[in-house]
Amino acid sequence: MIKELLSQLFKKPATSKYPFVKAEVPEGFRGKQVYDANLCISCGLCSRDCPAKAIEMVEVDGKRSPLFHLDLCVFCYQCAESCPRNAIKSSEFFELAAINKSDLVLKPEGNAQKGKCEQQ
Amino acid sequence: MVVNLWLVFRVLVFPGFTSILFFTMFCDWVERKIEARMQNRVGPAFTGPAGILQPFADVVKLLTKEDIVPAGAKRTVFRFAPILSFSFVVFAFCFLPIDGAAVIPNSSFAGDLIFIMALITIANFFLFLSGWASANPYGEIGATRVLTQFLGYDIPLILLALTPAFIAGSLSISAIAANQYLPFALLAPWAFVLFIITLQAELEKDPFDIPHAESEVVGGLETEFCGGKLAFLRLTRDVQIVFGAALVVELFLGGPYGPVFFGLPQFWYFLWFVLKLLAVVVITEYVTCLFARLRIDQVLSANWKVLLPLSVLSLALTVAVATWIYPLMV
Amino acid sequence: MKILLETNKNAGIVALTGLDLGKTIGLMYHMYTNGVIVTVRTEVPKKKPKIQTITDLIPGAQFHEREVADLFGVIFEGHPNPARLVLPDDWPDNLYPLRKDAKIDEALAKNETAPSKAEPTPAQNEGDLVNIIIGPQHPALLEPEKFSLKVDGEIVKQVEPRIGYVHRGIEKAAEQRTYLQDVYLVERICGICNSCHAACFVETVEKILGVEVPLRAQYLRTIILELNRLHSHMLLLGHAGLEIGYETLFQYMWRDREPVMDLTELLTGNRVISSAMTVGGVRRDLQETDVPKIKTRMATLNKKMDFYHKLFENEPSLKMRTQNVGVLSKEDALKLCVVGPVARGSGVAIDVRKDEPYEAYGEIPFNMITRDEGDSWARLIVRLDEVNESINIIDYALDHMPSGPFRIKVPRVVTAGEAVNHVEAPRGELFYYVKSQGTAYPERVKVRTPTFANIPAFIKIAEGGNIADVPPSFVSLDPCFSCTDR
Repeated sequence: MIKELLSQLFKKPATSKYPFVKAEVPEGFRGKQVYDANLCISCGLCSRDCPAKAIEMVEVDGKRSPLFHLDLCVFCYQCAESCPRNAIKSSEFFELAAINKSDLVLKPEGNAQKGKCEQQ
Repeated sequence: MVVNLWLVFRVLVFPGFTSILFFTMFCDWVERKIEARMQNRVGPAFTGPAGILQPFADVVKLLTKEDIVPAGAKRTVFRFAPILSFSFVVFAFCFLPIDGAAVIPNSSFAGDLIFIMALITIANFFLFLSGWASANPYGEIGATRVLTQFLGYDIPLILLALTPAFIAGSLSISAIAANQYLPFALLAPWAFVLFIITLQAELEKDPFDIPHAESEVVGGLETEFCGGKLAFLRLTRDVQIVFGAALVVELFLGGPYGPVFFGLPQFWYFLWFVLKLLAVVVITEYVTCLFARLRIDQVLSANWKVLLPLSVLSLALTVAVATWIYPLMV
Repeated sequence: MKILLETNKNAGIVALTGLDLGKTIGLMYHMYTNGVIVTVRTEVPKKKPKIQTITDLIPGAQFHEREVADLFGVIFEGHPNPARLVLPDDWPDNLYPLRKDAKIDEALAKNETAPSKAEPTPAQNEGDLVNIIIGPQHPALLEPEKFSLKVDGEIVKQVEPRIGYVHRGIEKAAEQRTYLQDVYLVERICGICNSCHAACFVETVEKILGVEVPLRAQYLRTIILELNRLHSHMLLLGHAGLEIGYETLFQYMWRDREPVMDLTELLTGNRVISSAMTVGGVRRDLQETDVPKIKTRMATLNKKMDFYHKLFENEPSLKMRTQNVGVLSKEDALKLCVVGPVARGSGVAIDVRKDEPYEAYGEIPFNMITRDEGDSWARLIVRLDEVNESINIIDYALDHMPSGPFRIKVPRVVTAGEAVNHVEAPRGELFYYVKSQGTAYPERVKVRTPTFANIPAFIKIAEGGNIADVPPSFVSLDPCFSCTDR
């Protein structure tokens, strides 16, 4: 320990300056869901299998589509696994903190997906 | 009048109150940075260049916070003890020759070493009072631990401080510092090492930071404090650490005196003083990182069974070898 | 029961499962003897649920009986301290949540308007003894649980635990979700040993289904479980450093734990909650390109652990704080039915991985670490050495990874039946009982977590010790309260 302490003085710190230097996540990280409306067949399996009951099926342009409540979501990705058409994919986006719970609802329409937290 | 203005400047600005305050914050930053780097962390990084303004920001933040006095607390003591404790330490600081002379010039007298030791004890006693008055079981336990610890460690500390006094043949700090043509740390290394250890305990730093053991007594005596009072408690602790380091510099490392190359000697004295002090701070921080916190009974028995006899021995040893030491001093 | 104890002195209780059988309440005493679980069944009528306590025979059964009394309303006659254990003090009387006919919503709606019962009595000093309450919020406890200590000066005389502050009713919630959803639910019982919970649950369900998981899936599960153990043990060792004021140890240990977390993220998609297990296998296959990454990191970690081993053996201040602190003798460890590293630190050689190998543990050689000292230091060093064993297990599993499918399809509806299962979680033996009625929803899921079995040991080791010894001896048990309360 005596030596270790002194040698550390001249080494680079192990911690990173996180909010200023972005953290890297490996491929296959279970981040925010990306939903592809074109692939969806409105079967509702994702909603049925969700252990946190975070997926609600809503009517959008005459098509039943999943609405993700990210504030309830536990990011287990069972929905992606249950989906017969692979319409739900993972992303590496994990900075999901928001001031409002309503910011954490992923609506199934095109650009509305982008929550406020994605602004940076 | 001119003289008086000069005195006011010395007491309030340099090297007095303001300098001590900012220098304390600077030392706090050095301490935190060194500790962080030893533990492979970054440490304060975002406030000012390399986070140098972080301690300042902490104090300012605390000062802006709401000030609450708990219902059961003894209000007067609770309110004034932190400030009094802080003032006593700063007052003690004024007797140390920082740039070649004490803060108040010509204020040093024959027994000021004993006097500032007493001041520090009083400051500690006010710390104890502040914890005791906060009407919180954790605060009370923390306060009693402070009391037990400094009562025990004061004795070896004073005994060890007598070693340089004996070699220099004076109880005045200025005289001790001025007489070190060869630093006493080299003449009496045994006393130097023991003094550092005792100081570590007196300043409640790891492995002796039992009054602050948060896993046992939450915040110790600070538990009920917030806002400005907490800021003063923190500052007291930091000033105490700097004061302890300064004491080591004065007693064992030749005080502010060192080679003067050009220009004002005051400038060089101050520079030497700061450099020596930082070295001591680094050493204490290193010891802090090296050990786990001990238990109160272990700390006390270490004091009475080990440090006290050793410090007496050290004094005896110094007396015994004085004949060989004196020729080295000239 | 008595016969069982007479035939084997070392038999202990693993769990006590209550079960609503309509008119009666079934009680299942799961006993552990000679490496196998023996279940003793009995029933009590719901109208008059009374039964003789077994705490006089097995002191370790105290908590189990109190829990069943809370959740099913069974009265254990002769129990030394029949107070509430997991339910809050203002929970309505005569409402036993795990009975199938409990009308919880109704009762709660009524209870919300009613004033809550008096707060637990504040600290009162009795004679010479001072009452110190640790928790529910205290820096030494990272999770909320209350321990009332009666102290005489600096010496602890009596400890009274009160758990249930993070009781989330997961056993009840599991009955209302499908088996598929339950995998993710039980995983969230504990953040640290999440894979162990999931693995134990899916194994139990597989036992009922009677399916055999492909060999590759078994190896993959083993790797994930060992990564789980690695990061759990290192978390605890670092935390122990913090409790004894050794901040540097804490920082270093957590720094070196970080690669393990990154590997978990690489393998499963998340740092902590791995969600890797599923009924019939694992959810992701191992990529060939990841193997060298894992191997190099394990090699560096192995070197670092040698450094820590030397540190634990040599560092004087660390040893002063942990050696001969919180000693649990072998006899007491057996009597209180403690599990995992706590038992192994007291010289009791039990490890489910050895006693009843599951997954790929039967094929992988590794050593069981035991220490005879029984103090906090021994418990910590057992974990330290187990980290090295885990590294070897992962290395071996990677070298001998069989090819083949990593999961098989299983039906969503589970055939009627019941099964018990146990695995060795980082904190000790984790026990599951699942009963199926032939639907997609389980009838009963019983979880006995390792900390639940280890808390009685804390009472034992804290009494007679110093207050300052409470944090280190407590942390050496590696308590996890989310586990305990469920």
